[in-house]
Amino acid sequence: MSESAQFVNSEQRFRSLFENNLDIILFQDRNGVILDVNEPFLQLLHLSRADVLGRDISDFLPPELIAVFREKLLQAFQGTRVQFDVAVQFIGAEPKVLNISKVPLLVDGVVSGVHMVARDITDLTASHQLIEQQAKKLNTIFESVTDAVFLLDREWRLTFLNSEVERLLQVDRQHVLGRNLWTLFPDEVGGEFYHQYHQAFSMGRAVHFEAYYATLRLWLEVKAFPSEEGLSVYFSDVTLRHEAQASQEKLAQDLHRQNQDLQQFTYIVSHNLRGPLANAMGLSQLLTTPDPDQATLLNHLQTSLVQLDVVLQDMNTILTVRDKQDVADLPAPVRLTDVLDLVLKEMNEPLQKAGGQIVRDFPEALHAHGNRAYIYSIFLNLLSNSIKYRSQQRALLITITGSPHPEGGAQLTFADNGSGFDQEKAGAEVFKLYKRFHTSPSGRGMGLYLVKAHIESMGGTIAVKSEVEVGTQFFLYLP
Amino acid sequence: MHIVLIDDDYISIFLTTKLLQRENITDSITSFQLPQEAVYYLQNTLPDQVPDVILLDLNMPIMSGWDFLDAIKPFESQLAGRCSIYILTSSLAPSDKLKAEEYSLVTSVIPKPLDGPKLQAIRAQVLENRS
Repeated sequence: MSESAQFVNSEQRFRSLFENNLDIILFQDRNGVILDVNEPFLQLLHLSRADVLGRDISDFLPPELIAVFREKLLQAFQGTRVQFDVAVQFIGAEPKVLNISKVPLLVDGVVSGVHMVARDITDLTASHQLIEQQAKKLNTIFESVTDAVFLLDREWRLTFLNSEVERLLQVDRQHVLGRNLWTLFPDEVGGEFYHQYHQAFSMGRAVHFEAYYATLRLWLEVKAFPSEEGLSVYFSDVTLRHEAQASQEKLAQDLHRQNQDLQQFTYIVSHNLRGPLANAMGLSQLLTTPDPDQATLLNHLQTSLVQLDVVLQDMNTILTVRDKQDVADLPAPVRLTDVLDLVLKEMNEPLQKAGGQIVRDFPEALHAHGNRAYIYSIFLNLLSNSIKYRSQQRALLITITGSPHPEGGAQLTFADNGSGFDQEKAGAEVFKLYKRFHTSPSGRGMGLYLVKAHIESMGGTIAVKSEVEVGTQFFLYLP
Repeated sequence: MHIVLIDDDYISIFLTTKLLQRENITDSITSFQLPQEAVYYLQNTLPDQVPDVILLDLNMPIMSGWDFLDAIKPFESQLAGRCSIYILTSSLAPSDKLKAEEYSLVTSVIPKPLDGPKLQAIRAQVLENRS
């Protein structure tokens, strides 16, 4: 092939490229005059080549775009390739969005003209806009649902969240988007949320659960749906419902306790109240006829009536404790050593008589919150029990220890080396009213019942461990 | 007629003893404030001596009347037909009456206080059973 043939060939190739290109191609001089043009431009403007050649492109542009096109052309003439997107309606043409490149043609180092290549991106732009609109719509939907919604990618990064998430979790969208969920909420790593989300991911299955977000003290109901992209999480604040449930449970517990009290009350009436009453009735019946033992009969009658009165007084005491239980007295801090000092002073004489000894390991500053009179009564009852039920085999030793409870308040132990009781047999009965586990000396079965009632009314707990002829230990927690 | 009283309440024991004497039912009374001691007593006297009647209280510490009945189960054959057990209780609970029916040795439940007519009824019943 000759050199000229090669040239012709290249010229032909260029023409073919120029004419058959789907993009619009113009060749302009410095003044914007169109020197050459291809078919797509003519089609767009419904003009012939003759209508266009030799005319300034400005003649076909809407007035507001003339300056832009001129400026870009001048930039190209300075030797740089220029690119820009523009929405333009050439006169007599359809509106289009064009991606325009202006490419300078250099001949011997001088820009001799500029090719303008315009690609029709109308459809592309429209679909971009559609996507944008849909994203906006989606955003509006996510914002308008009452649930908090966030999306995670497969690396646990937050890719989206709505304002309910910002509100509930007290986070700022700008600060959290794109960040790893577990670096944002390090306290939750290994917790319920962590396990559930991991399960949703690994099993590829939606999860639905309720969990407590301790940091903000919120109960959240969560649904999480795994997908190719990651995880979509919807949640709402159900704290109120949980609180309602908790108070309902408490109500049920209270009711149960009241019911038990009532049963116990029936028991008291049938045994402890009716016992001395039946005796009094029997004795008074005997007294209707003369009897050589009249004095004894009268004496027993009196004793029975006193017993009756004691039971009634006991019941009064109990009902008073029960009544006060629900009164929202602000619990005052009580220094336990002060109360213990008082009780030990009170018990000093019976303790001396019994030959007992007390070992005390009790920090001076130990405090509990509650009713001082109750705490006094608790200490007094426990100590007098230890004295009353001491072993005949050995000298009484009572050890009282106290230490601060990790969650506030105090934990105390009252331990003695007394006669103890058969715990297997007594079980939970020890704290019941008028239940006795020793035959002598006589106890009414009232003390431990009151101790427990007092402790529970202050929100504390009591437990007992005992072994026959080894001793008894009471474990107290006072808030 | 030999009667065994089991009641932790000394006034109740006094009252029952007094009534038994007044109604001329018997002077042969053995009373226990501790049911454990009554069990021990029966262990040692059976089968040579069998009390005709046991009057048993229910509400007692450590060993209740029910516990006592369970404790003497081994001697049931020696007692059956020869000894009538009456539960003597201040309890008004119907559940106690129902529970008593589970024990074949228990003849009936008698609410406290005991009185002359009730004792005479017991005597009549015991004598009738014997004949």
